[in-house]
This record gives sequence, C-alpha cells and structure tokens, in this order.
Amino acid sequence: MVRLAITGLLLVLAACNGRDPQAIVFAVASAPTVLDPRLASDAASERVNALLFDRLVVLDDRGEPVAQMGRWQQLGPRHYRVELVPERRAFADGRQPDAHDVVATYQSVLDPALASPHRGGLAHIESIVAVDPSTVDFSLSRDDPLFPLRLTIGILPAAQARQTDAVETPRGSGAFAFQRRSGNGRLELRRRSDGQRLVIEQVADPTMRTLKLLRGEADLVQNDLPPEMVAYLADRPAVELTTRPGTTFAYLGFNMADPILARRQVRAAVAHAIDRDAIIRHLFGGRAEKAESVLRPGHWAGVGDMQPFGFDPETSRRLLAEAGFGPANPLNLVYKTSTDPLRLRIAHVFQQQLADVGIRLEIASYDWGTFFGDIKAGRFQLYSLAWVGVNSPDILRYAFHSASRPPAGANRGRYHSVVVDRLVEEAEKLQAAQAAVLLREAQRQVHDDLVYVPLWYEANVAVSGDVSGFAPGFDGNYLALQRVMKRDGH
Amino acid sequence: MIRLAVVVIAVWLVAAVAGVIAPLDPSRISLPDILASPSAAHLLGTDDLGRPVFDRLLAGAGVSLLVAVLTVGLSATVGVALGLLAGYVGGWPDRVIGRVIEVFLAFPGMLLAIAMAAVLGPGLDNVIIALAVMGWVGYARLVRVQVLSLKQSDHVLAARALGRGDVAIVRCHLLPLVMAPVLVEASFGIAAAVVAEAGLSFLGLGIQPPAASWGGMIHDGVRYLLVAPHLVLAPGAALFAVVVAVNLLGDHLRDRLDVTSRSTR
Repeated sequence: MVRLAITGLLLVLAACNGRDPQAIVFAVASAPTVLDPRLASDAASERVNALLFDRLVVLDDRGEPVAQMGRWQQLGPRHYRVELVPERRAFADGRQPDAHDVVATYQSVLDPALASPHRGGLAHIESIVAVDPSTVDFSLSRDDPLFPLRLTIGILPAAQARQTDAVETPRGSGAFAFQRRSGNGRLELRRRSDGQRLVIEQVADPTMRTLKLLRGEADLVQNDLPPEMVAYLADRPAVELTTRPGTTFAYLGFNMADPILARRQVRAAVAHAIDRDAIIRHLFGGRAEKAESVLRPGHWAGVGDMQPFGFDPETSRRLLAEAGFGPANPLNLVYKTSTDPLRLRIAHVFQQQLADVGIRLEIASYDWGTFFGDIKAGRFQLYSLAWVGVNSPDILRYAFHSASRPPAGANRGRYHSVVVDRLVEEAEKLQAAQAAVLLREAQRQVHDDLVYVPLWYEANVAVSGDVSGFAPGFDGNYLALQRVMKRDGH
Repeated sequence: MIRLAVVVIAVWLVAAVAGVIAPLDPSRISLPDILASPSAAHLLGTDDLGRPVFDRLLAGAGVSLLVAVLTVGLSATVGVALGLLAGYVGGWPDRVIGRVIEVFLAFPGMLLAIAMAAVLGPGLDNVIIALAVMGWVGYARLVRVQVLSLKQSDHVLAARALGRGDVAIVRCHLLPLVMAPVLVEASFGIAAAVVAEAGLSFLGLGIQPPAASWGGMIHDGVRYLLVAPHLVLAPGAALFAVVVAVNLLGDHLRDRLDVTSRSTR
C-alpha cells in the first residue's frame, strides 16, 4: 500500500512539473524582446522572428540575397519588381500572403509612427505598389543596385501590419507558428510541417543552462557559454557539440575625437600590444578566428589579403616612445566594457598586455544600458563590442561614414575619412561586382586608419542533448530548428 | 576547540602579513595556466585568468583582516562615544541618539551596507565606511544600556560625591567597566565584518578586480563550479574557518569576562 502511494505521488509530481517530454526545449541566454520583425533589433528577437515570419529575401552564407517569398528583378536603376513565389507558405490563419501584405508591411516600416529601427535603411523607398496579387513594385528616390539586400524584413498579414504598435500574437508565414508566451521568458512555438512543439526558454546563467542540458531538462543550447564550459561539454558523451565559424566580429574601438587617440601612432601601439593568438588559443579554446574586417573574407565584399597588425611589443614600445610616452610619462587610458564575465576577462588580459608595453589601462565596467549609452554618446577612450549577424555591406556606411555618428548611425568612434565616405557612396550606385571592389578598398582604408583594432570572429557553438539534426547557423541564426528531431523518433 | 580557533586566527594573521611582505604576484595573468587544478606548481590551482589561487587567498586574507580591524575600530570608537554620551548625559542627547539607533536598527544591516556601498561606489575605503555606518549602532546601544545602569552604582555616586568631574568619571569609572562587553561585541563584529566584506565583494560592491578578496574570488569561481570547483572551495573554506574561529573566540571571551557565568560555574 505504501509503495502504491509513493508511486502514485511520484507520478503526480512528474505530471506536475509541466514538461512535455515530446517538446524540444531550446535554452537561450536571453529571450526575444519583441515578436515583430518590423521592430526587432536585438539578435535574439531577429533570430526568433526569422522562425515566425518568412521574408521576401534571405541572405546566404556569403551574404548574397536569395529568394524566399519573392524573386526580384530590376526594371530600372530606381525600380524593382518582386514576384511572390507560388510555393510560399501560408500565414498561420491559412491564408496565403499576397502583394497587399508586402505593401502593408513595408509601408508600416516607413511609417514614422511605428518608429521601426529598419526605417533608415529603407528611407529611399518612394512608393510601394501592389501591381497584382502576387507582384509588388518598389520605386526608389536614388539608385540602389544592392536594394534586394534590404528586402529581409518578415512579412506580416496586412491587418497586423496596419497596427502602429508591436504585434503581441504573431501570425506570420514562417516555419513555426506562435503558441504562447509567458512572462518568465518562455516562448512556445509549433513547427508547421509536423506539429513538433518547440519551447524557447530563457536561462540566463550558463552553468544552469549546462546543467539543464545534462539533466535532460533542455535539448539545445547555442553560444553564450564560457569556453571552459564548452570544453567540459565536449567531453560528455550524452551531448553532441557542433562548432561552425561565425560572423560575430569583435573589435576594440577608439575614440578618434580624443586628443591622444586621434594620433595613429598611439592606436598602432595599442594594436601591436595585443596578442590575439594567445587570447584565441587560451580564452576561447581555439573557437574563434582572427579578424581583420567587419565582413568575413568569404563574404562577397570581404577582403582576404589584409595585412594584420601583428603582436609586436617592441614596435609598440617604439611607437609609444615616438609619440612621447615612456616610463617617465606613461600613457594612461580608460577602457569601457560591460559587466559580461567573458568581456571582463578579456579586458583584464588587455590590461596586462598593454601594461607590458607601458600603457596603463583603467577598466571601467558598467551595466549594459550605461555602457552602451556612454559609447553612443562618445564618452569613452577605448571600448570593446561585437557586431553580431552582420551580412550586409551597409555596415560600412553605418559604422564608418562620417554622417553615421550616433544617433544617425554607429560611427561611435567619430571617424572621419573623405576617402571612405566617397568609396561607400560610390559603391552604393554600382552593381554588386563593381561595388565589391570599392567596398574592399574602403575596408582596407578603415583597417589602415585603425578605426578599430579588429579582434576575432567568434565561432558558433551548439550543444544538443536528446535531439539530432541541429547545427548552428553561420550568423548564429536558429533556422536549423526547422529540421531538428527528437532522438526517440518524434 | 578554542585552541583550534586560535590556530586558525593565527594562520589568518600570518597569511595576511605574508600577503603583504611575501614576493607574491596575485594579479599576474598567465593565459596558459587558466583553470589549472591544484598541483605542485600551483598549490591551490589557478583561476580563470591563470592567476594563482594561493597567492590570491593570501592577498584576500590581508584585505579581510584590514577591513575587519578598521571597520570594528571605527564602529566601536563612534559607538562607544555616542553610547557614553547618551547614557551618561541623558536628556535630549539620549533621546536623539536613541531615535537614531532605532532608525538604523529598523533597516536590515546588510541591506543598509549594500545601499551605502552603492551610493559611495566600490573600493576598499568605501567598504569600510559602509560597514562602519552600519556597525556603530550595536556598540552605542550596548554602551548606553551599560552606562545607564552603572551611573547609579555606588562607586560612581561616591566619585561624584568626592567632586570628580564628569570626564574623569566616564574615563576612570565607567569606560573600564563597559570595555569588557564591548570587547566581546567587537570579536563578533570582526566575524560580521569579514562576512559583510565578502558579501559586498561578491556583489561587486566591494574590493574591485584585479585586487583579490575572498568574496570576489567566490563570485568569480561560481561560474566555473562545474569545471574548477577549487575556485570556490578554497576561499569558501578560508572564509568559513575564519568566521567560525572568530565567533568561537568571541564566545570564549564572553565566558571569560562574564563574572556571573563564572561564579555559577
């Protein structure tokens, strides 16, 4: 009788934990903040929205546009036509997306009332017209041969797109349908092809994420794990580790408006003092690659033969001496970073490596909001950040054009180069092949001017437990969730 | 047990001194040694930046001792002075000090210290100030109560009848008598200060990296609990041992100084 009671109690407790054993649980460091592709700007939201909403165009591994919902043709320098493909997926309500949905989505992005962060990149759209139910014409106010790269916003049903506030219950035509969302960062989706349930659960602490994976409470984890934890998981037979080179570009930024850092000599001294190889080998466990530019060499506009600023303490000391700094007059710099543990570790390594050549680095770490606010406002000397999921060459205008100082763009270092401005502007008027030549030249100039010390591309690492078929996307996207299966056959 | 406590405290003192005079380099980063396990080369292993945990433990011992001594010294000085004033003078100074004590006691001590440290900013000096602001209350209350009782005692009344001044009475007839309970309170205060400093450093409000502190070491080590438990175990064990030892010593001291308990034994 007692055994029966205990068994019954255990069964009740097991049923009460609320877990569906058939659901795939994806543990993430931060939950998406917004489920509306028009308003998403953080990486987590972008990645989840890509599961919920199909787009006219997606970018492939080389950053080149590929048709998803629509095939485009250029009718004139300022006129593009997009034909919706017949095999496009239906919205969650069963209706097939049509030209009116596309028009409504893009018009809402351009509507200042929505305050979409994507509006700036599409501001040159003059008109969007539905020619017929499956054809949309875009007219532009200036030549833009790279316009298809900008057609990557998820398409909403017209009724939802007309809302001027964020969509709460997304009904896109993506591979997954929205089920429910709870306040504790838990999001439930259903795969439309086979009804597979997917739970995206926020577990902020990496140790907890790892433990959940090992205990079977989570099936998947991707990135945001300390390198030591990745090495620990690599030795566990119960989980499978997949690594893929990533596009996340980490850099050390300078404030060019600072009287000391405005001197290239000083910036070069900093660059030559940093031993990237050692950091990649020991801190990242080799799961990163040295970077020289924001676009990977494999990108269609990437540069493969950039001469790196190598680790050379002697050159660094010589440059400092030439700039008037030495033991009697040491160079003191302040480095701002977030409170993220890995970023702080890297900061301390920088501090020591710079100290070895005679630069005193003071580390100032702040919560994300304060830190990012200071960087945007130009209140810094040195800082470190990373560009996540960068695929479009628009990044060169956004980050380095002199007109892109915050809030207009992300030229946070107050960099000004007539040459780079001209190259970026001219590239925007050319077809991809010719534009790539100018964009490469612009990247070489930026590299030579040492606007950033380029650091590394962080690899994407996925760890899967009781599931198969998952591999991280090249830019950290979650699109492989379309194919992932529970190991027991579900 | 008390012998063990004395040994632990002696080791703590020696470690604190060694942390200052020994040729250690607790902040030197060594990337190839990251998260090395305890070995002959690294007695307690290394941390997430390849720094020797043993060296950092010694440096942390110095920090905890410094914070404990200065915090207790400052708290006791202020608390005893205000307690004497309130208890001996009485009247409105007693009422004002009494109300202030009640206000401070209404707040959880650690919460107040966190708020103070957040306002003042992180750093060794600010930790001491924050903990002293929280710590003086206990001494003041204790001394006030003792003085209220003692000032009516025969020897004080006799001294007053013989024409001794207030300062002399306080210095010669009251202070020596209140010092025994203050000493006991101070011994517990040292343990509390060690824990509070570790707590503030754990929360990032105390000693700032790369300087070593036991709380900061535990904070840094928690992330690697699965792969390098020695990062938490070493400073955690040190903190535990010191706090227990100081409390045992405080208990022993109380038993020794408490005349009532000695006479009933």
